[in-house]
Amino acid sequence: MTRPTPKEIKAMADVAGVPVSPEVATRIANSIGPAFEGFAPVAGTLPFDLEPATFLLVQTARNNEKTVK
Amino acid sequence: MNVHQMSTEPALMSLTSVAKAIAQKRLSSREATQSCLDRIGQWQPRLNAFMAIEPEQALAAADAADTAQAKRNISGALHGVPLAHKDMYYDAGKVVTCGSHIRRDFVATVTSTALQRLKDAGTVRLGSLQMSEFAYGPTGHNAHYGPVHNPWHVDHITGGSSSGSGAAVAARLTFAALGSDTGGSIRMPAHFCGVTGLKTTVGRISRAGAMPLSQSLDTVGPLARTVLDCALLLGLMAGADADDPTAVAGPLPDYLAATRESIKGLKIGVPTAFYVDDLDPEVERILDDTITVLKREGAEIVQVELPDQRQLTAACQLVLAVEAAAFHKRWMIERPQDYGPQVLMRLQNGLAIPGVSYLEAMRWRGPALAAYLAAVAGVDAVIAPVAPVAAPTIAESDVGNSPDAEAVIQRLTRFTRPINYLGLPALAIPSGFTKSGLPVGMQLIGRSFDEAMLLRIGAAFQRATDFHARVPKPA
Repeated sequence: MTRPTPKEIKAMADVAGVPVSPEVATRIANSIGPAFEGFAPVAGTLPFDLEPATFLLVQTARNNEKTVK
Repeated sequence: MNVHQMSTEPALMSLTSVAKAIAQKRLSSREATQSCLDRIGQWQPRLNAFMAIEPEQALAAADAADTAQAKRNISGALHGVPLAHKDMYYDAGKVVTCGSHIRRDFVATVTSTALQRLKDAGTVRLGSLQMSEFAYGPTGHNAHYGPVHNPWHVDHITGGSSSGSGAAVAARLTFAALGSDTGGSIRMPAHFCGVTGLKTTVGRISRAGAMPLSQSLDTVGPLARTVLDCALLLGLMAGADADDPTAVAGPLPDYLAATRESIKGLKIGVPTAFYVDDLDPEVERILDDTITVLKREGAEIVQVELPDQRQLTAACQLVLAVEAAAFHKRWMIERPQDYGPQVLMRLQNGLAIPGVSYLEAMRWRGPALAAYLAAVAGVDAVIAPVAPVAAPTIAESDVGNSPDAEAVIQRLTRFTRPINYLGLPALAIPSGFTKSGLPVGMQLIGRSFDEAMLLRIGAAFQRATDFHARVPKPA
């Protein structure tokens, strides 16, 4: 997962219907770059059968209790 | 140290104490309310903590509460207790600015569930509290209404986004206040202002009628003077709500009872990395001192090796940026000039994150939580600093929309965001002071929906220390 370039960001913002200037696109690239890099080890590695709702299952599961006293 | 620990001034009482005093007719609601209003008059010019002050309405409501009590008509556990809250909780008929210019004149037509439950318990409204614009900022700066000042040192920040809540509770202008925590917005002001703050589990308290920032991360919670106060408020607000399907149903623990339990034999984990890295030496000292107190109270301290927390921070940023941008898209198109520069800049960040990346971050949340819970399986809670430093000055943290603004924000919220991503509860407790007199807080991090354990540990700590009881004085 690589951080988007200012050019790509400008295109994405245009498609989203909120156009930004090249300067703003450059600033956004610098701001969000670290998040892309931080998430890179996870991106593209998740198993097929995994839904966002898994979070709720884990949150309320019995193993969400202290298992060792 | 600039402190004032004992006084007969009603506003200096804790929430639980003032509620009890009013219930036992040792104090009237009018006396409690007037005492808060007196302090607000004294402090507001220094702090800018209130968005709106409503003295006439507050005193009229207090008188009504006193009259009702005389007729044995008691509303609930907070009968006649005056409170003010972060200006993002809808209160039907009242202007709710959300700290913004865009909603400067917005009049709510509904009342948020959390606020309504406190009203049902008998509270009196003092006014509303300042906040970061749309709750999107960790420092307490606000481009439209000015920064909120730290009562311990007015040149320093309060932290945000519940900036007014932190300052007003610290200066004893309100007995407690609602905040909200999406990336650290309750814990940061609690830490910087020296008050107790509870970030609840996602799903613990209804968010109906609370201004949204991120539907996956937003949580409602209290800032108060003591852990007992937070326990009382949580018990009143928690639980299922027909207006918010994400609020979890089921029996609630007796949170106040939990605060009376010993911590002897409990295991508290100290992370081996991340939360202990690059700490200011004074924060490091206070972490060590806190651990010593917990040991003395009977807890066993063990080291815990957590999964990579930097990945959680990154995932949190991806989710928050996209969801915030989606909520604000219409105004970003129609009224971009009405945002403060930093908030607009941060909202624009969300435009550049592909849908697939956002959904990957959402899909990873379950496995990430499972991995965290496995890592802490042997402990009852984890302790960590809320932030690596005490409150910076307003001037040095005023980065606006400069190129390094996001980096500054990320540094301040380094220890809070992973917890938001995992949706876990965390209790920030005043844990010490720097040599220059600035408060420092630690956070106790628990399992999902196990706020009771955090309240138990926090209350034991507050029985053994007096950091939470210290009160700033006007300079």
